[in-house]
Parts: sequence; C-alpha cells; structure tokens
Amino acid sequence: MASLGDLERTVMDVLWAADGPVAATGLRDALAGRDLALTTVHTVLSRLEAKGFVEHDDARPRRFRPRASRAEHAAELMHEVLGRAGDRQAVLARFVGGVDPEEARLLRQLLAESGPDTPTR
Amino acid sequence: MLPTTAAALAVLAALLAWPVPALLGRARWPRRDPLVALICWQAVGLAGGLSIIGALLVHGLAPWGHSLSGAGRALLTGDPARDPVRGDHWVTLTLAAVLAAELLGVLALSWVRTARTRRRHRELLELVVQPSAAAPDARLLEHPAPVAFCIPGARPLLVLSSGMVAELDDRQLAAVVAHERAHLAEHHHLYLLPFLAWEAALPVLPAAARAHTAVRELVEMRADDRALASLGGPDPRRTLAEAIVVAAGGGGGVADGALAVGGSALGARVRRLLDPPAPLPAAARLAALLAPGLLLLVPTALLLAPSLL
Repeated sequence: MASLGDLERTVMDVLWAADGPVAATGLRDALAGRDLALTTVHTVLSRLEAKGFVEHDDARPRRFRPRASRAEHAAELMHEVLGRAGDRQAVLARFVGGVDPEEARLLRQLLAESGPDTPTR
Repeated sequence: MLPTTAAALAVLAALLAWPVPALLGRARWPRRDPLVALICWQAVGLAGGLSIIGALLVHGLAPWGHSLSGAGRALLTGDPARDPVRGDHWVTLTLAAVLAAELLGVLALSWVRTARTRRRHRELLELVVQPSAAAPDARLLEHPAPVAFCIPGARPLLVLSSGMVAELDDRQLAAVVAHERAHLAEHHHLYLLPFLAWEAALPVLPAAARAHTAVRELVEMRADDRALASLGGPDPRRTLAEAIVVAAGGGGGVADGALAVGGSALGARVRRLLDPPAPLPAAARLAALLAPGLLLLVPTALLLAPSLL
C-alpha cells in the first residue's frame, strides 16, 4: 500500500509530464497500473490543492494542472535555504552558511597550512 | 521602601543583561566544551528573564507583602494592602505583565512560524525529490551549489544538494551527514529557539543578539564534535574540516554582506578541528556546570523564599 505522500508525488509526476490540464479520470487512467479508485485520486488532488501545488479550471469535469514546474519548486526551496531567512531563523540547520570569497580563501589557506603531510593529533 | 528581594533581583537582572553575556561571549573556553557552554547560555537566558520579571513583580506587589509568596497569599485571601499602593507599584506590575507576555508571546510566535515554514519545506521536498531506498530520511536536491541542511521535526529530513555530492569524496560526505544527524539527534533547533525569540523580542538589548550568535556557533561546534565521535577513517578531524572548506568555497555563496558576519565563526570551527584545544579539566568542567545551576537557583530562591527582611 503506497503512502499518501508517495501518491501525491506520483500524481504530480503525471501532471508535470502532461501537455495540458488533466481531469481526475485521466489521472486514474494514467495511473492504471496502480489500480486507484477515483475517490482516492480526488483525495490526493484536494490535498495537493490545499498545499498550493495544484489548481483546477472551471471546465466540467474539472481539469487539474500544476501551479509551478518541478524546477520552480526546487528553486523556491533553494532560494529560501540560501537566503538570509533560512540562516537566521533556525528553520533549518545549514552545514555551512554563506561566506564571502575572501573568507573562503582564508579557510583554504588555513587548511593548506596544516597540510595533510603534517597530520594533526 | 524597595524590598531587598526586588533590589537583589534587579542587580542580578542587570548583570545578566550586560556583563555576563559579554564575558561569556568573549571567553575562549566555550570552544573547548561547547555542550557545557550551551548549558551556561540557556541558564543565562532563563535566569535573566526570571530575575527582571521577578524584580518588577516583587516591587509592584510590595504593598501586599515583602515576598512573592507573602504578597500572593495576601492577594488570594483578599487581605487589604498593608502599605499605600502608589503609582510606581502599578507601573512595575504593568511592566512585569507586558514583559512576560512579550517574551512568552514571541516565543510561541517563533515556534508556530518556524513550524509552518518547516512543514512547507518538507512538503516541497517530498514532492520534488524521490527518496532513496538507502537513506529514507535523506533527500538529494538537484542544485549546483554545495549545500547540506536538515529540517528538524517529528519526521526530520536531511538534504544534500547534487553540488555537495559532486564536490566531496565519500568520507567527506559521510562527515557532513554525521554533522547534520548530530543536529537532529540532539535537537539543536530547540537550543536556538529561545534566543531567536529573545532577540526578536528585545532588539534594544545587544546581549540578546550576542547570545543568539554565540549559541548558533556553539551548536555547530557541538555537532562537529559529535560527528567526529561517529566517524571512522584515518583523520576524521581533517576530513570534516575539508568538507567545511569545500562547502564554504564552492559558491554556495550568496556573497551577501549580512551573511558574511558568520564567516569568522567558520574559521574558528575549522581551526579547532585542525588543532583541537585541550578539553576542560574536570574541576573546571564541574564549576562550569555548577554555575548555571546556581544561576537558576538564586532568582528562584529569591522569588519563593519568604521576605529576606
């Protein structure tokens, strides 16, 4: 039994690959291998809509399309991670924060000075 | 007359608002034992808030009794004030209420706000990235900048960028992952949260910003230490230092002036990896652990003990 998160990702993959908006029945048919009930597809779609990843048009039956491409979502995330907000707000712990080129050069120098040939304790 | 309890608490609050954080922020021993230093900072923050609110409260309640317990009992039983209630009593009582509400309110607000942002990040990640079978809590994000981070929470996620994986060898990558796992295992985001909130609540207090910066650095050093303990290989210290330098130099870089402030802290981190300072002697460590306990005990005792007069 696939998890909801897994289904959401699969549905998004179909929507991202599609040429235009897709109806729920179309999604069910595209995922025929998974043997999903139409209500399950609707559940997943409404969850995705609530999270703001999917929108529907006014056609009958309603057709769904992604609000942004996969690359745009990845870019949005990285923008926040690399930006000041992520660093300062303890939302996430970043391995190394932003550094200016001069500081990066000093760090490399520090590493070179201790040299791999003179092993530290 | 100002009760001695209120005066003692006010002196303690003044010490904790300026000289103590300044000394602790400038001290060199914290990098020898980041965990003990983190405990000291938590105590400074907690005792500081407790003593300033306590001082205001004890002074404001003075007409009802010269200790918090005495005044509280008098108020509960509906006894009239023994001394006349002046304007300054109402002012300090109001200040105490405003300060307590602000500190707790900002803390709750930061909690809710970061939780919401984290949930959003997690949703984005789970949608965009396929989990690998090998590490179900790790995600590989397609991006050229060498970036690694973790999203704390009930279902923590560890994220590596493809740029990070490309620039590091296997041992360096293992060091980065061990560092991030250390953050998650010790819930470092919880150590940071109060200082983040105090800084937002008290922007006029330089000690709040200083404390936040110090705790942020110490948390990174602590994660380095814990990562080292779990790493194999010939020279894990150097491996981790190399990973830091690569991640810093690989153009992860927002060359943003505001961010570069953290840079010298990175230097300290690399330096203590390459040339580890001697651990604190047992006696010094014990003293450093007793101090925060005492620091919390003093305002608590002052507040709860019956009048010192």
